[in-house]
Amino acid sequence: MKISGSYTLPVPPERAYELLQDPEVLARCMPGTERLAKIGLDEYEMKMKMVISAVQGLFAGKVRIADQKPPEQFRLIVEGSGKVGFMRGDGLLTLSSASPSTDVHYEGEVHVGGVIAGVGQRLLDTTAKIVIRKFFEKLAANAGQAAQAVAAPLSTQPPENSPSDSD
Amino acid sequence: MIPQNFEYSAPNNLNEALALLADGNAKVLAGGMSLIPLMKLRLAAPEHLVDLGRVTDLKSIREEGGTIRVGATATHYDIESSPLVRGKCPLLAEAASSIGDVQVRNMGTIGGSIAHADPAADYPASLLALEAQVRIASAKGERTVGIEQFLVDALTTALDTGEIVREIIVPVEPANAGVSYQKMVQPASGFAIVGVAARVRKSGGKVAFVRVGVTGLAAKAFRATGVEKLLEGTTGSAADVQKAAAVVSDGADANSDLHASASYRQQMAKVYTARALTQALSRAS
Repeated sequence: MKISGSYTLPVPPERAYELLQDPEVLARCMPGTERLAKIGLDEYEMKMKMVISAVQGLFAGKVRIADQKPPEQFRLIVEGSGKVGFMRGDGLLTLSSASPSTDVHYEGEVHVGGVIAGVGQRLLDTTAKIVIRKFFEKLAANAGQAAQAVAAPLSTQPPENSPSDSD
Repeated sequence: MIPQNFEYSAPNNLNEALALLADGNAKVLAGGMSLIPLMKLRLAAPEHLVDLGRVTDLKSIREEGGTIRVGATATHYDIESSPLVRGKCPLLAEAASSIGDVQVRNMGTIGGSIAHADPAADYPASLLALEAQVRIASAKGERTVGIEQFLVDALTTALDTGEIVREIIVPVEPANAGVSYQKMVQPASGFAIVGVAARVRKSGGKVAFVRVGVTGLAAKAFRATGVEKLLEGTTGSAADVQKAAAVVSDGADANSDLHASASYRQQMAKVYTARALTQALSRAS
């Protein structure tokens, strides 16, 4: 399944790049993240609990960051598995300045297998989009708060930025 | 195919049910048409189920002050076969009769369906076109929200912990109105690839009122206000319908799955919108 989209973060690219690689920030913003720990250079171990409607899934896996070109782009590789199935995602994030904020474009591919893919095929695409949207909304809110706290006079944008590809 | 162990309660009235649900640890069982399969696959493992099957006052369908109030546990069959709904809100009856198969319609409930909020469920298209209200109850009290606020996202509703759908309130359709629900069905699941509900009224040879609801196309069902605006005030000719239907997918982030790609869905949404509008117009007097 191919995924792509764009979001705006209310901070300059250098800061956005930092935020997108800060394990604490990521753990706070990724829906259902229960644990995210550094296990090596640009490599993290994670535990997630995804709750979508009546479906609950515990996933354990790894997040890896590769092909770093700060502050323009990097590749994010996520692998996870649990009782209900497994997922493997590979995405390229491209940051471009839209002063004073940053446009983040992602493009990648997600593979989902196991029981959840067998019965939930119809809902995978929709669910993936929702999870990504929630992540960026929360990240934008976090970034907005930080930006306001650090440089109040510069940042006039509200913390909640609307994603550009929302319905 | 055997679910994990769970506690089961079957309260006899609404207050008992709401008290059991108040702490947020229990899951509501209505018709079970979505929940039970998930439990059997162990994708869902609720610790406690509260079965609403014995709460008979949740099943009633009645008319009150220009509206029809459909109880949350009325089954799709109850709705499609109700003389009241068929006569005074035919769009809802049409939507109910197109859901799944006979077995699902005999067990599945309207409250369960909208609370599950599947992005391809049939009811939301009609309920949006009908500008329905959803009456929500909990141990703390009641509130009523519009269907547009109720449907938050795919599989996500405005229901809070301990809250259940109590009834769905739809307007009595004026006698001169024309309605239609057109659905491209996915044969294996019975779900809509796209489903479009239309309501129209004519006045002095012009289309005076249009409401269009679309399901299956995006993460949640939506009202196609662009289509409505384009058709309102026209004579409702075939060309007017085509022109209006052409904008139904504008701005929609279309779903994509094994059965239909995003661009195919967008194209089919146009086709089924035109069909729904054409039939609704032909039924309006």
